[in-house]
Amino acid sequence: MKTFKDLLMVSLTGLFARKVRTLLLLLGPMIGVAAIIAAVGLTDSAKGDLKAKVNKLGTNLIEVSASSAFGGQDPTLPEDVLDRALSVTTVKSVAKVHELANIVVTPYNEARDKYEAVPIPVLASDMLLPSVLEVDLISGRWLNEFDEQATSRSAVIGIGLARQFNYLPGETRTIELGNIRYGVVGVLSEVELEPAFDNAVFVTFSAAKADFVDADKILANKIYVRSQVGAEKDTSEALKISINLGGPDEVTTDIKSEALQLAAQSDQQIKLIVVSMGILASIVGGVGIANVMSISVIQRSAEIGIRRALGHTRSIIASQFLLESLFIGLLGGICGVLLGIASIFLGATIAGWVFVLAPWLPPAGILLAMVISVIAGLYPSVRAAKLEPLETLRLG
Amino acid sequence: MLHEPETDADVSEQQLANEPYVEPLLELKEVSRVYGSGDAKVYALRDVSLRIMPGDFVSIVGPSGSGKSTMLGLLGCLDIPTSGTIIVGGKTVTGLDDADRTEVRGRTIGFVFQQFHLIPHLDATGNVETALLYRGLSKAERRRRAIESLDKVGLGHRHEHRPVQMSGGEQQRVALARALVTEPKILLADEPTGALDSQNAENVMELLTNLQSSERAVVLVTHAAEVADAAFRKVSMRDGRIVSDMTRVR
Repeated sequence: MKTFKDLLMVSLTGLFARKVRTLLLLLGPMIGVAAIIAAVGLTDSAKGDLKAKVNKLGTNLIEVSASSAFGGQDPTLPEDVLDRALSVTTVKSVAKVHELANIVVTPYNEARDKYEAVPIPVLASDMLLPSVLEVDLISGRWLNEFDEQATSRSAVIGIGLARQFNYLPGETRTIELGNIRYGVVGVLSEVELEPAFDNAVFVTFSAAKADFVDADKILANKIYVRSQVGAEKDTSEALKISINLGGPDEVTTDIKSEALQLAAQSDQQIKLIVVSMGILASIVGGVGIANVMSISVIQRSAEIGIRRALGHTRSIIASQFLLESLFIGLLGGICGVLLGIASIFLGATIAGWVFVLAPWLPPAGILLAMVISVIAGLYPSVRAAKLEPLETLRLG
Repeated sequence: MLHEPETDADVSEQQLANEPYVEPLLELKEVSRVYGSGDAKVYALRDVSLRIMPGDFVSIVGPSGSGKSTMLGLLGCLDIPTSGTIIVGGKTVTGLDDADRTEVRGRTIGFVFQQFHLIPHLDATGNVETALLYRGLSKAERRRRAIESLDKVGLGHRHEHRPVQMSGGEQQRVALARALVTEPKILLADEPTGALDSQNAENVMELLTNLQSSERAVVLVTHAAEVADAAFRKVSMRDGRIVSDMTRVR
């Protein structure tokens, strides 16, 4: 340990004693690492806003819809669809809805002429929908147990609809659903993964059945599922099977964030090209290190000779030079990372992008610089160790 | 084993024979050093035997090409002979690998060179400390010993000066302090005054003379007669052989 401490001191002293040379040596790994960091960072930052959105919304929302194989009307999901969905072990939460067809929605009866032409989706929804979608309410509350039990005519509207109808937050208003007046109890905030909900009206299953469905029971035709992150694809496949099991209607699934994720992906080709150039720059820097260190070994041959005469072994001499290379790599790497981060910051600011820096980049950059520097330092170090003190000390 | 077969060095052998046995600090036994091979073979040293005893103050003299530098390299364990045996402090070093030889060298031998060979980016203390590195000493302890050693050679006031800020005489004294700081049994000096003016040369010689003690041997390699004359024992070389080995009465 003491020997290593001594080595550390000798190497650092050697580097600091030749500041200009050390600085020149630093440039190689520094520029290489800076190029890599900037390349990855800037291509990431270019899509930073979308990436941030994906991170915020989550990638694990799956929509499961009933679809008819033979063009049948109103396909539905089985009655126990929630249990079937939850039987898939990677499913974390689930909510069901039923999209009602052909309901004219107007803010009040007199406005019929103005609004009839525009179809507005009305959905029967269970109480878990906002939590599965991970959205809050702008004002008011979501449909609750009481609404469901009492078949109360309570409705929650999307934020787009609230704007369109000029509903103020907290204002007590009603809404006409096919001539039936419902009380608006809440306004749902923006649902980015399901934009149609921004202009939708949500009512309870019991109210929907009572007012709009001529059947014994109302079954869900769509469910929303949150799966474990990373298991979206498998979950989506498993849901098809577990929900459809033996039923007449087909089931289709859609991972809601997939398109967004695709859009948020950085341009891999550009990234690859610039990263390759950065690696190339690092290697050229490494060659520079090997070169300058080799010259340095010749210049310092007398120093090496006297150290050998004073009892420093070959391995100590080799370690001393190798450590110098390692420090050059470390320092160059750190400077390169800082320069790279500054470049991303500058580039992103000028272009108006969101600053994105993958957490693995700085350590990877420093590690690359160190590895290249140590490899570059191997030959000079071995050469230094092989110097014979007698040849370098020019005895009288 | 005091009576070796007849060699060039038998003058000293006979003198030693009259004294009680003392283990030599350093011994060369029929050592040859050959450079090149085949027709280009050059004998730098040919069957040389020599003993350096504790308390010796030896000068090795000879014209250039006589083999004295080769001799110094071998005495200092910086080189290995082509044939023959070298024993340092009772330990045969000729069979040792480089690392072990380096260890023996660092432990028993101190060097002073004509060109001083100070490390330019280190100050006087740093240069002296270099000899104490990798010995398990703390930085503070190294520094303390280095300063003590510098004080011994009269450079107490120049601890923090770099080689370029010092005169040749001062630089050589730093080199001396560096050689002494490990308390070596043998001090090997290669033309220690070769690069100095007469005043500085005198100072350095005086220091060297004072360094010799009953436990330590000082070996000078020189071609300067006045330097050689300062030593009590004078080993003359020619063509890779010892031609005379004389000790003067102290």
